Amino acid sequence: MDGGTYTSIRKFRHPSAEGVTVAQRLKEVDVVVIGVGMVGSILAKELAAAGYKVVGLERGATRFTVPEFQSPGIHDELRFDVRKALMQDNTREPVTFRNHSSETGLPIRRWESFLPGTGLGGSMVHWNGQTFRFQANDFELATRTRERYGKGFLDPDLTLQDWGVTYDELEPHYDRFEYLLGTSGKAGNLKGQIQPGGDPHESPRSRDYPTPPQKEHYSGALFRKAATSLGHHPFPQPSSNLSQPYTNPEGLKMNTCVFCGFCERYACEHYAKSTPQTFILPVLLANSNFELRTGCQVQRINLDSSKKRATGVTYIDNAGRELEQPASLVITSLFAINNIRMLLLSGIGKPYDPVTGKGVVGRNYAYQTMSTVASFFDEDVIINPFMASGASGTMINDFAGDNFDHSGLGFVGGAFIGAVNTNGRPIQYHPTPPGTPTWGKGWKDAVVKHYNHTVMFSLHGSSVSQKQNYADLDPTYKDAWGQPLLRITFDFPKNDLKMAEYVTARGVEIGKAMGAKQVVGSPRKGPYTTQQYQTTHNTGGTVMGNDPSTSVVNRYLQSWDVPNVFVIGASAYPQNASWNPTGTLGALTYWVADALKSKYLKSPGHLVSP
Amino acid sequence: MKYVLATLILLGASSARAAPPPEAATCQACHGVHGEGMVDGAKPRLAGQSAHYLDKQLRDFASGARDNAIMGAIAKGLNDQTRSRLAAYYASLPVPAPLDHSAATAATAAQVGRGHQLAIEGAEGKRVQACNNCHGPDGSGVALSAPALAGQLATYLAAQLTLWQQGGRKNDAGNLMSSVASKLDEADIAAVTSYYASLSASTPASH
Repeated sequence: MDGGTYTSIRKFRHPSAEGVTVAQRLKEVDVVVIGVGMVGSILAKELAAAGYKVVGLERGATRFTVPEFQSPGIHDELRFDVRKALMQDNTREPVTFRNHSSETGLPIRRWESFLPGTGLGGSMVHWNGQTFRFQANDFELATRTRERYGKGFLDPDLTLQDWGVTYDELEPHYDRFEYLLGTSGKAGNLKGQIQPGGDPHESPRSRDYPTPPQKEHYSGALFRKAATSLGHHPFPQPSSNLSQPYTNPEGLKMNTCVFCGFCERYACEHYAKSTPQTFILPVLLANSNFELRTGCQVQRINLDSSKKRATGVTYIDNAGRELEQPASLVITSLFAINNIRMLLLSGIGKPYDPVTGKGVVGRNYAYQTMSTVASFFDEDVIINPFMASGASGTMINDFAGDNFDHSGLGFVGGAFIGAVNTNGRPIQYHPTPPGTPTWGKGWKDAVVKHYNHTVMFSLHGSSVSQKQNYADLDPTYKDAWGQPLLRITFDFPKNDLKMAEYVTARGVEIGKAMGAKQVVGSPRKGPYTTQQYQTTHNTGGTVMGNDPSTSVVNRYLQSWDVPNVFVIGASAYPQNASWNPTGTLGALTYWVADALKSKYLKSPGHLVSP
Repeated sequence: MKYVLATLILLGASSARAAPPPEAATCQACHGVHGEGMVDGAKPRLAGQSAHYLDKQLRDFASGARDNAIMGAIAKGLNDQTRSRLAAYYASLPVPAPLDHSAATAATAAQVGRGHQLAIEGAEGKRVQACNNCHGPDGSGVALSAPALAGQLATYLAAQLTLWQQGGRKNDAGNLMSSVASKLDEADIAAVTSYYASLSASTPASH
């Protein structure tokens, strides 16, 4: 394969690329936000409302529920599911990948294993709406694991660490985020009181969800009965595809989800899935302190000669012009892996070196460990998998996190197990038992036979960080603007494969208790492949913490090195927990908004001394 | 007497058509001999509407979930068997040519154009999604979930939207229709109902 340069695209670059002229310098603003997705739009709204001049730079296009997300176009499975129409354009800006540092990373030219979005509203436009909190234990994982299982319990290659923030500190922000979204669910622990029907393992919440759970589909009902019979604690999956009309604290009205089964990889046509378009953008865009610029590819955050202060950002717009936007405060609110890359391209923070273990940017890249259980029934059990939302499952947390005793198991972490039928879409959804031919009449007959009579469980597992897994700049491949791509080096830690094996066996027990004719467990196996969809839960690389030698940002997600840069995304997670990361990212966003408004903007500087 | 007359007319009109169940005579008085509806009093067209939808509405009238004095009294008199027979009969009827809707509503081209936009695209400023998202291509209906709107009487549709808006009707799933209707103003309602009334229901888009 050749070097991946893009000479033809380079031609449209501004002459400054050849050093002839300098970038046009724009009028200084208070805040520049890089990436107008969930984090960017919430923070921009908070700061614009507080009176600051904010510019939001979004590389993708402007888009709204009407007209962009309407039917029948939005249900085009070939366009959105197979060809990934809402995702980062990897003909111009791919990511390179390898399993081990001894290999050469190659660009991912076709997204499969994870799907970073692009455009106004970011990746949240195509999410499933599964809206979880992490548990108190997750934020102090290193300390609590040592306390419960002893110092020698963990594999020495693992680099688990505490977050520097606690669940109790984040609770009010989780609450605010859920009420912004209108999340539909059932509390399991209200201020320490266990609530029947909810998740008894959850950490205490100050009040119930803003809306009741979505209706349970039949596979969920089967799962509930079986899990209960085994002594587990099933509960309705918290969903931001809403169960009833809701008006959020920003005054925006959302509708009831109609269970069309086109959430993940699609945008919602009904104002029923919580996305920046439904819960915040109309309010943000109406504020004259905010200016949205789309089609802006930020090249780097600019630093002054001391390298300890950012002066703004340089970007290239859709016309190919290179522009400099000066700002007093820079917030990078990109998808996790792009946050890492932005810091590396800007020279902020010391890049991680896996040989010495020194450096922090790119360190503790982690993911999610996904396994499945398929339960095949006779034809008298009708599942109707197409009647679904992206988060209308029934699930248990009995084998998630540290909710079970890990003594003697040889791993930390766990997975939620759930009958989470998110869709029954015709091109991509066709469960068949092992031994089925992969094409031809035999395959077609099996698809017809099993399509409506199969229950799929999702086993959504945690992901530990370890020394060998990291991200850095690729030495060979560049993007369409001539900048080095991000390179991910990742394989599943042994810890997580053991976890997957253990939890999948528990899932198979539930499948059998449902009375299925055949139950097939598929625990996640290595090596990690980019060619099979798993989940878009890339985490780490700019992790938060209390020690500058093992974290990129402090507990307020402020750069240790350049204090007027805040880096906000799941890239801040020191390792990933057993649940979808979005709820925690929402909580962190409001946590940072509070710190900015009440502390930083009143007296700019280090919020924690390095 | 009315029953006999109506039956005779129907038989004369189309001998190939399935004979109406005897109870249809009651329906025909208001909904027309061929289920085509009646402009006077905004009585909806029933012909070609899905059996599932018609059956559910009759059950809702009977239970009071859909509040209407006349239909409530009639629906309460139907047993399960009769109700489903009536629903199946009207679903089987060919959709008649539209009544004189455009004349009845005197819609302007601009109104119909605005209605078309609401139907296929919605309105971001009002946070209203396209009607066709649920009601099918060209409002042709989706059998198990949403009624056909194409070729329906504008006066009936407008009366229903006003009921959804004001809380007089709430027998849908998830309060979707009241959410949508509450965001429409009078001009929107006139536009979207005249648009659907202007469509020929006999040639819905394939679905």
